[in-house]
Amino acid sequence: MAATTETVRRVKIRPNYDHVAWKWMRYSALLLIPLVWFHVILQDVIVGVHAMDLNYVAERWANIGWRIYDAALLGFAMAHGINGVRQVANDFIKGERARVVVSWLLFIFWLVITGIGAVALVAGVRQNFPLN
Amino acid sequence: MSTLKTTLTGYTGYRGREGHYAFLLHRLTGLGTVLFLAIHVVDIALVYIYPEGFGDVLKLYQSTLFGIGEIGLVFCVFFHGINGLRIAYFDMFKPGGWEIAKQRNSTRITLIGTLILWLPATFFMLRNILIHNFGLFGG
Repeated sequence: MAATTETVRRVKIRPNYDHVAWKWMRYSALLLIPLVWFHVILQDVIVGVHAMDLNYVAERWANIGWRIYDAALLGFAMAHGINGVRQVANDFIKGERARVVVSWLLFIFWLVITGIGAVALVAGVRQNFPLN
Repeated sequence: MSTLKTTLTGYTGYRGREGHYAFLLHRLTGLGTVLFLAIHVVDIALVYIYPEGFGDVLKLYQSTLFGIGEIGLVFCVFFHGINGLRIAYFDMFKPGGWEIAKQRNSTRITLIGTLILWLPATFFMLRNILIHNFGLFGG
């Protein structure tokens, strides 16, 4: 084996958009596992969809803690999911322009859905008064 | 369109067995979950936007067809989470584990873990459907 000298040169690479997006996927995922699993086990398995009505949501959201919990779910899960769709889409789309167009469409879709959810979360259940 | 064909042929034609199935399942379960999530945000937002219609949406969710979909959704959520943990674990702590034998083994463990969480959940959700939609077990 020929003698070789090895020099290690450390290079600092400035993170680009996809680097940040990738990190977002991982860190939001670690948070989403407890958030989403607990939400699913509680609502789908323990409470069950048959026990739900408008009052159920109103009582749940009367507690600010649950609203914050749901806000975290909305913020992290929706962004994680839409960025995931973008990654899958990039697998199928190779043109640079098409990728930019799809990314923007997904961003607008994310903004609209998150906006709708945020409005409902802040405003709460619309009830007719007096309550019966 | 040729890229679509190339990607799809790669998805289906690659014979990587367990590691490959884990990749495909991760994508399918992720896409399935985000599709439901977008619908779910809007249907819950109805409590403010159109509360009169919220009951009708719940009726739809309580139907047997949607109940089966719900059971599928819970599988997606559990699998996507555990498989995501598996990927993060290899990436961050065991980069040497990215080889075929370890991938096959860890994928099997992922599936077993998913079933351990999913089967009891399925039992309760199925029981709920049988009680409320079929009048069984004193429903």
